[in-house]
Amino acid sequence: MTDLMPPTKNKWWKSPDVKKTFILWIILTIAIGIFGSQFHILSMPAPASDVMSGVIGLMSLFSWAAAPVAALVFAMCITALTSSRHYGDNPPADADHQISNSPRANATWISVSALLCLFALVVGLVVFQKEADAIHEENAIHVNVTGQQWAWNYDYANGARSETLYLPVGVPAIFHVTSKDVKHSFWIVEMGIKMDANPGYTTETAVTPNKIGVFNVRCAELCGLLHAYMQNKVHVVSKDDYEKWLEDRSALEARP
Amino acid sequence: MTATMNHPAAAAGKSRKPIIEHLNIVTAFALGAISAFVVWRLALQFLPADTEVRLFTREDKITLLSMIAWFVGFMTGIGALVAPFRWVMGKDLSHDENMFLAGKDMGIKRYFRYTTDHKVVGIQYLVITMVIFGIGGILAMLIRANLGTPEGGWIHPQAYNSIVGTHGIIMIVGTIIMVTGPIGNFIMPIMIGARDMAFPRLNALSFWLIVAAAVPLIWAQFIGGISTGWSAYNPLAGQAPLGMNGYIMFICIFALSTMVAGANITTTVVRMRAKGMTWNRTPILIYGIVASVALALPAFPVFFLSQVMSGMDRALDTSFYNPAGGGSGWLYENLFWIMGHPEVYVILIPAVAALMEMAPVFTRRPLFSFNVAVMGIAGISGLSVLVWAHHMYISGWAPLLNAPFMLTTELISIPTGMLFLVLVGTLWRGRLWMTMPTMSIFALLWNFMIGGVTGIYLSDVPADAFLHGSMYVTAHFHYTLMGAGLTGAIAALVFWFPKMTGRMFDKKLSWVSFWMVQIGFNVTFAGMFIVGLQGQPRRVEAYPALFNHGNLVTSIGAAVIMSGMLVLLYGVISSWRNGVKAPMNPWQAKTLEWTVPNPIPLENFDVLPTVTSDPYGYGKEKK
Repeated sequence: MTDLMPPTKNKWWKSPDVKKTFILWIILTIAIGIFGSQFHILSMPAPASDVMSGVIGLMSLFSWAAAPVAALVFAMCITALTSSRHYGDNPPADADHQISNSPRANATWISVSALLCLFALVVGLVVFQKEADAIHEENAIHVNVTGQQWAWNYDYANGARSETLYLPVGVPAIFHVTSKDVKHSFWIVEMGIKMDANPGYTTETAVTPNKIGVFNVRCAELCGLLHAYMQNKVHVVSKDDYEKWLEDRSALEARP
Repeated sequence: MTATMNHPAAAAGKSRKPIIEHLNIVTAFALGAISAFVVWRLALQFLPADTEVRLFTREDKITLLSMIAWFVGFMTGIGALVAPFRWVMGKDLSHDENMFLAGKDMGIKRYFRYTTDHKVVGIQYLVITMVIFGIGGILAMLIRANLGTPEGGWIHPQAYNSIVGTHGIIMIVGTIIMVTGPIGNFIMPIMIGARDMAFPRLNALSFWLIVAAAVPLIWAQFIGGISTGWSAYNPLAGQAPLGMNGYIMFICIFALSTMVAGANITTTVVRMRAKGMTWNRTPILIYGIVASVALALPAFPVFFLSQVMSGMDRALDTSFYNPAGGGSGWLYENLFWIMGHPEVYVILIPAVAALMEMAPVFTRRPLFSFNVAVMGIAGISGLSVLVWAHHMYISGWAPLLNAPFMLTTELISIPTGMLFLVLVGTLWRGRLWMTMPTMSIFALLWNFMIGGVTGIYLSDVPADAFLHGSMYVTAHFHYTLMGAGLTGAIAALVFWFPKMTGRMFDKKLSWVSFWMVQIGFNVTFAGMFIVGLQGQPRRVEAYPALFNHGNLVTSIGAAVIMSGMLVLLYGVISSWRNGVKAPMNPWQAKTLEWTVPNPIPLENFDVLPTVTSDPYGYGKEKK
């Protein structure tokens, strides 16, 4: 960035504008990093799965990665705004620094943004791969999730059915998601997973809940009249409670 | 037209008043309405009943046929078919007729006719853009009013969904035409030193197609509305009420308009630049406009076809998207987003380029790294056609493709960063002439930075699994399309207002509206980011009490934006009517449009200019 300065004999870093920008840059980087990451961490619901913790971590990390870039742009903007302003109906004289290009600045800028881009990609892919592997978990429970206007239905392996999702804590759950009518989107908010329910197709997603409690399922794809009300609770219970609930449920189904 | 003008001998005055002199907006609406009514009545009479019980099919046929009849009637009535008809007969329009079409000596009436003068078309575009934003803004206020309290409530869910869909699609259309319409038609030909567009009649056609398209969309509101959101995903669109046909017709006609305009503008820029205007001396705005319309050229035919298939699914019982008949909703999603992602850059690029055009003027120094600016625009355009499936990460369509699409999406941040470099580099150590457009450059950098960084979160597959379909997405794209795009477009309006209307834009009003809109905007969408992160889905008409505060903040911010926009509207009207008369070159800029006098003569230049230097040569004399 520094090469934006005109090639004068003076050392460019001694210019007051550059000093001001540099100090602003440091302050703003810290401020934006803290604000950006805290904004996301504090707004997002408390995680109920490792996936969600991963997502929150990603958002926080990306905020910090973006902070220096945003801070540099804003610092230069503030310096520009505070150093030479002219009001009035007629234009000021042409600026003193008439530099129309700087190959070094261009090259630096582009390579830094390419590196940041690569960083975001690699971090994203690592987390993504972990999640993609979860679908092949062997000792997982399988739940068939069926969306229909405007409710969710859950079918469990032993024939139990319910309209409210029950999951055992600490056990991987694999969801086979489909729809009876239009497109819905199956979103367990606090667990950070989402999968569209497509009519005519079954798609998979997986998560391991790590906290006992009651969480939210919401439909995240406009599905008609009562889309806003297509939400429900997930009960994450201990493994024993889950087995018991499952038996009760399947007995209920088996009843003539 | 220009060719004919040069050979006035080819034309001879006719004693009879030619038919084109009778055609205007009144005959267009009349003929459109009559033909729609006739076809509707005939279809009602003669279309056979459905053989089995079906939702809508016969009614869909009737609605679509009437809408097509409206379209044909309207275009005939406005006079779009006069010249093609003449060609079929082996003749051409006479010189007098061409001058009539160009709106010579016609005063205010030419704005209500099929007028080919690019300056008239530019003003027509400007007015229709403002009307669109006005309606879209009112719909946005209705949405915010309904979301003021958690239980929502006072708008029926069906009507609410329709308002959301209509707000979405008309704002998209408004933002697509907001720069390439008014500025691209009015300013661009003068800027490149041309007498008119390459195809003046196509220019008029592209505008009147938008007017023709508007009616089916309004019509739709009375026959069930567009209850699917602007994306109109199938199979939801298949079971939506008859209003969906209005959406389908609207998109088809609008896509035609965009294709026509795209071909016209691209040809004009490639073929009609003034002598000496090499690509190095072509202003950056021209690059932005060309990139925008050139991106629309592959995008909108796909949109057109996707809606034709949607209409066939409804009216002819085909199964392109209907899973019961072997179709797939994923097909629609792919087609839609193959249009949909280039389309956001169709909106964004010309707005950013307009601010790049203004940056040298208001900092009194050359544009920093012109080549990088061009590379950035070209890079974004190239990559933007390869990223569409990031809208489908969690659709389940092709999980294996998520990683490649994540790569292409994140790569876009590199050319986007170049645009930032160019703007910041120009501002840095410039001598800032503080006007509302100058401040808009800073506002764009701020808003676009937030829109861009949140875009990187969204491009990340695991993060998107949480964020997709939430209010976070809504806030993100408003930051890019409105915070960056619309900010640039409003600045462009203020900047070129003296040339377009001959009067200066009221300074005080431009500042007041600027601060109201920018502050209101950031408040609105900060609230929306928060509720999105908390887990509020998009397009809901009610929400749990948890999201109460964020939504309240958003609703208040939206009211501030609306007030700011009203100030802007008042500024446009009052400045246009009795603003200070503008000098020829109020900003002391160096591009060609400032070398023509106010008011601009019919063919812009008496003698076509020759360009000998680049348009950003500030401070050159010092060296």
